[in-house]
Amino acid sequence: MHRVGSTGNTANSTRPRKERRITYVLRDSNDSKHCSGINSITGPNGLKGDNGGEHLFSASRDGTLKRWELGGNEAVCGATFESHVDWVNDVVVTGDDTLVSCSSDTTLKTWKPFSDGECTRTFRQHSDYVTSLAAARHSNIVASGGLGREVFIWDLEAAMVPVAKAHNDANEDGTYEGDRAITSNNLVTAAPAQNLSQGYAPLPAKGHKESVYALAMNDTGSILVSGGTEKAVRVWDPRTGSKQMKLKGHTDNVRALLLDPTGRLCLSGSSDSMIRLWDLGQQRCIHSYAVHTDSVWAFASTPSFSHVYSGGRDSSVYLTDLSTRESILLCKEEHPVLRLALQGDQWLWAATTDSSLHKWPARERATSKTLQRASSFVAGSLPFARARANIDGSAPVPLYSQPTSVIPGTAGIVQHAILNDRRHVLTKDTAGIVKRWEITRGAVIEDYGKVNFEEKEKALFEKVSVPAWFTMDTRLGSMSVHLDTPQCFSAEMYAVDLHVPGASDELKLNIGQETLRGLLAHWLTHRLVKPVAPSTPKGDVSPGLSSGVGELGSNRRTTLDDSQHEPNSQQTRVLPSFEFSTQSPPSIITEGSQGGPWRKKATELNGTEDEKELPSWCIDCVLHGRISQRENAKCSFYLHPYEGQTITVLTQGKLSAPRILRILKVKNYVLEKLLLERPLEENGSDANAPAGQQAGGNANGKGNNVFRPGSKSWPQGTKPVVEILCNDQVLPPDMSLATVRAYVWKKPEDLYLHYRTVPSL
Amino acid sequence: MGASSSKLEKVLGDQFPEGERYFGLENFGNTCYCNSVLQALYFCVPFREQLLEYCGQKKPVAESEENLLTCLSELFTQINSQKKKTGVIAPKRFVQRVRKQNELFRSYMHQDAHEFLNFLLNELVDILVKEAQAANSNSGSHTSPEKVVGNGATNGLANGNHKEPVVTWVHKIFQGTLTNETRCLRCETITARDETFLDLSLDIEQNSSITSCLRNFSSTETLNAEDKFFCDKCCSLQEAQKRMKIKSPPRILALHLKRFKYIEQLGRYKKLSYRVVFPLELKLCNTTDDAPGSEAEYSLFAVVVHVGSGPNHGHYVSLVKSHNHWLFFDDENVEIIDESIVQTFFGSTQEYSNNTDHGYILFYESLDQKK
Repeated sequence: MHRVGSTGNTANSTRPRKERRITYVLRDSNDSKHCSGINSITGPNGLKGDNGGEHLFSASRDGTLKRWELGGNEAVCGATFESHVDWVNDVVVTGDDTLVSCSSDTTLKTWKPFSDGECTRTFRQHSDYVTSLAAARHSNIVASGGLGREVFIWDLEAAMVPVAKAHNDANEDGTYEGDRAITSNNLVTAAPAQNLSQGYAPLPAKGHKESVYALAMNDTGSILVSGGTEKAVRVWDPRTGSKQMKLKGHTDNVRALLLDPTGRLCLSGSSDSMIRLWDLGQQRCIHSYAVHTDSVWAFASTPSFSHVYSGGRDSSVYLTDLSTRESILLCKEEHPVLRLALQGDQWLWAATTDSSLHKWPARERATSKTLQRASSFVAGSLPFARARANIDGSAPVPLYSQPTSVIPGTAGIVQHAILNDRRHVLTKDTAGIVKRWEITRGAVIEDYGKVNFEEKEKALFEKVSVPAWFTMDTRLGSMSVHLDTPQCFSAEMYAVDLHVPGASDELKLNIGQETLRGLLAHWLTHRLVKPVAPSTPKGDVSPGLSSGVGELGSNRRTTLDDSQHEPNSQQTRVLPSFEFSTQSPPSIITEGSQGGPWRKKATELNGTEDEKELPSWCIDCVLHGRISQRENAKCSFYLHPYEGQTITVLTQGKLSAPRILRILKVKNYVLEKLLLERPLEENGSDANAPAGQQAGGNANGKGNNVFRPGSKSWPQGTKPVVEILCNDQVLPPDMSLATVRAYVWKKPEDLYLHYRTVPSL
Repeated sequence: MGASSSKLEKVLGDQFPEGERYFGLENFGNTCYCNSVLQALYFCVPFREQLLEYCGQKKPVAESEENLLTCLSELFTQINSQKKKTGVIAPKRFVQRVRKQNELFRSYMHQDAHEFLNFLLNELVDILVKEAQAANSNSGSHTSPEKVVGNGATNGLANGNHKEPVVTWVHKIFQGTLTNETRCLRCETITARDETFLDLSLDIEQNSSITSCLRNFSSTETLNAEDKFFCDKCCSLQEAQKRMKIKSPPRILALHLKRFKYIEQLGRYKKLSYRVVFPLELKLCNTTDDAPGSEAEYSLFAVVVHVGSGPNHGHYVSLVKSHNHWLFFDDENVEIIDESIVQTFFGSTQEYSNNTDHGYILFYESLDQKK
């Protein structure tokens, strides 16, 4: 069980911020597959697990890392490392037993590689995405590079010493925040800081002018190279953080770097499609290879450094002999290649923007015969030489057409549309499969297969207007649903529409509140250790709720009523429409009151999490039923007789009702008014005093317009039929006021409804 | 002025181009912004030809139907049909029309010539579009049945929902297309968005050239830190590089040098007298690779010059190249000048200089389309 989250450092608390947000991430599969592109993989590096087998670690855009047991024919997912809240961009293994990852969430995290996903430390040093890591094989030195010119060199042994523990107990959970102000501005003061209670501060490699996208370090940790949008390769001494040299030559961003074990030779791959070999001793480029037809993003090489595997945006993996310049197309992936890693000298793993991993035979496996039949070519030294060769039709044929084995992933979501009811979301994944989700319980309710997304969206269009109570994105390949207060409490619906048993017609549910309850159900059951007396169904315990047509004009907040009448009763019961799966539970992402954001499966919350971990508004809502509702839950309108109608004005003032109130209710209201005033005749005389005079001039519609429930009923067969119109359009009875406003009225002014009677049969 | 006109005739003598007229324009009180632009446009041959043609087709219009287009075409026709080769004309009706149409130009204050050019071209476009639409709806009863037969229901839908933008002859002469390219630095996917322009406004620097100004115009801007780009491919915010390129170069390239800059500390506009070299022959370098004629070549044929040290006062004159002669138009006065004089309008290297005559709007004609 890993815990992340709070820390004593309040570096960010001075800046005014909004209420913390809570996000839930939905997946429709189990945990053993990645659901988005894989940014990085790292081989076993001689690291052996308990079973002595070989392992591969992958870092994915889905925000998780996974350990793969490569023992048998099929790789098995050994563990999922879940704590990052954005893309995991790189992963390295360092020392004997430390896995280090970096993420677009701006953190570095360390993990126990052979645990069940235990995060040991979180380092918040970077201020922007951390794009790359480099580790020295024979030491504890790790370098991290990121956007905004930041490169830090970490001595993990020193960094992992729990110095902070003595200083602050809050750090025991493994979160650590360096003092950014000191480390990034002044190296001299940063060094003694290690001995102070501030804890460990990494060494900054200062002097980058632009963002860093690639790093590499040699085995002994004596040379660090960095590359990025500056187009140059910079060389550093990681022991001092000092600049050694700057190598110019590439005409576009440097995206991949590789050092030979000694640190004398350096390979760089660039968006200019070129691979360059640099002699760091001579400080110059000794070879350039035009192998790829697009950006070069990945390298792998055996320690001998005689050959290099390279991959990139053209989805191709080439094997190039660095001395003879002979190159062969090893294989062609279906997606751009993001990373390559050798398993021994026999196999080459390729990670792409797809969620699966492919294993290909490496050079040592290929017999000389196979290599002979490969269509090799000599890499040119000028860019676009290969591009031209391709146009000429002399494109090389890949040596292997099928990978030896595949670690499958699931198709990530790439497109989404929130449907008008704001309870359903239509998604499309990388395989083109279109699905409809019920967002309030995180489940797929319909799988349409491969259909046109836009057409499906059009077909599902409904004239319904519900306030936007959540926002979402799909950057993790799955849906991340964001809830912010108070917007998330702006949408209500009738309980009967969710088929809540025993609910009265009038019982309204707050969608955001119910969703939060469902989401935190596991937390809540652990929280409420004392069993709660069985409660009566919600619909029966709400005498405070306005009933019948009395809702019209009632200004009471039903939700407040809820909290008054049932302080403890309903909390553990989750309605089916808000029940999240426990098999593949959603992950919760939120920010602690003192630390940075954290992520955990909803089922891993054990009830001890309090205001330090969860936003207090969220706890208030789930535990105490207190929500800060917005005023716009109400809709104001005027109700006037239709032109030419002989019946008189019921009310002249403005009326106010819940936005979700159905036209049927308005109809009933008119009927009841008619009943009260003229119970026996349908067409009263013009002279009759308008019923609305009761409300006389009460423009706010508050207070006086509350209807007195009448006990009388219409004599059989005489009940008149009332129609409600807006903009001369007869409104269907199940339409809500909000929908009428959005789709029929279409004006910012107060809504005008008209009524008329039609002869009943 | 009469003297200078006849002098011009004398200088040109036998060389006086056949059918060409060089007429000064009378100033109605600070209307030099208008006169200088009109001279440049008159010697923009494709533009003049269209206006003369327009006047020829059109029946004389009643005053109520008069608009900027009719006034301008009448003015050009009036100049073109003068018996004398040189002289002065009063563009009275045109100026009145401008003042009626736009509040901004109603006062007798000094006005911005670029703003006037912009107003004039857009006004002409509006009138032509309206005319084209009126013509379409008139003939609609004849053409639409045929269309339906030809293309079925889809055509009807297309007509109803979104109209094809009308391409007028003003567009054909002045309009070019820019493309706004954004490259995500993570997946390196390029997203392009096109927009059209009738002239390009360029930021200027001291001791620079049009080529370098154009290069700056197309220089790369990085979207990063708090201002990242949402990449549709990555489904997330990423760093990106953005730049503007010319996708289709216009037939007539009108370049406006931003010589009037708002200085925050002063709380007012200031004139930048920077020396910006404008070549007689210009090669467009910032075109997209796939642009037709990506090495578009242009030749300078007119310059609107701002004279004076400040933005709120001063004078406008124009330099015009006609039949390989350079002419200098200063309201009523017309003089022939040597080509080498053009470079005295580049600007000054020092902030305070006696020379306050600076090229402000440059008109280049494409050499490719001339052929």
